[in-house]
Amino acid sequence: MQDLIEYIALSLVDDPLQVRVSQYRRGSNVEIRLQVAKEDMGRVIGKRGRVANSMRNLLRVAAAREGQRASLDIMEPK
Amino acid sequence: MNDKRTNLEIIAPSVEEAIEKGLNDLGMPRQSVDIEILDEGGKGLFGLGNRQARVRLTIKSETDEPGAEPSPTSAGNGDTFLTAEQALDAEEEELDEEPPFLGDDYVLDVARDVVSELLEKMKVRADVTAEYVPTSDTRSRVPVRVNINGDDLSYLIGRQAETLNALQYISSLIINKEIGRSVHLIVDVEGYRLRRENQLRQLARRMADQAVSTGRRQVLEPMPANERRIVHIELRDNPSVETESIGEDPRRKVTVIPQ
Repeated sequence: MQDLIEYIALSLVDDPLQVRVSQYRRGSNVEIRLQVAKEDMGRVIGKRGRVANSMRNLLRVAAAREGQRASLDIMEPK
Repeated sequence: MNDKRTNLEIIAPSVEEAIEKGLNDLGMPRQSVDIEILDEGGKGLFGLGNRQARVRLTIKSETDEPGAEPSPTSAGNGDTFLTAEQALDAEEEELDEEPPFLGDDYVLDVARDVVSELLEKMKVRADVTAEYVPTSDTRSRVPVRVNINGDDLSYLIGRQAETLNALQYISSLIINKEIGRSVHLIVDVEGYRLRRENQLRQLARRMADQAVSTGRRQVLEPMPANERRIVHIELRDNPSVETESIGEDPRRKVTVIPQ
């Protein structure tokens, strides 16, 4: 699951060195956090969140394949 | 398979009409193409859902002798198609600056690899192939279609094709970024889009008939842009109705207005 988000993010951003993906487990839910450079935020969110929502949709399917649930948070860079 | 050659799939009420339409679209005589009947059409079960005939026309390359092995796309083959496409283009107001890139295997390879990679990361096992889909719709570039086939992949389509559209959208962003220009990408699972397109075309014609017979505008269910487009195109040449989309996404819907 982390792989999937990492692959998509690395493919879409201009600054791959600043891509960070981490995975946390909360009960039955896997929480994936994606962090990218400020300039790349728009590329991973998209107009009206279309890119982010598409990633969430694919993530949901990937998680279901492993009998799990997953959520995706896109974090502002510190 | 000869999927590297220029081909066109057409759907019409009968095989003969499909061939006729295809030859017209390509602007080529019958002897210049190979005709493959994919579906003869006919009555559906219980007399419902009459199936349309489906044929594939493949442009013969100049070096093709009867009975000879189909040769891979030659420059001449691509040119023949471009000429036919351009002739059609000239009739349209909206000209695309970019000519269709036929025979550009690099684009097909990238498209296939990106979709395969995404599926692999989603732990989905499936066969992935990519091909160009020449269409009679000259308003857009020649689409690249990536076909996903495997066992029981309906979860890849999702409710109202939500998952399939997400996969298509993410794939096209990645592919466009990788090759540096915009490709019209269609991602399909087990022929779903073609089946849906047939359904929508039938629905469009039925709504047009209803609009004419009742004299009232018909409002269709909300649909995503690619599906609304199919309805508009299907009724574009029908003089007895006009089509119009109303409302805002995701509730935007097509209306069919009698003239």
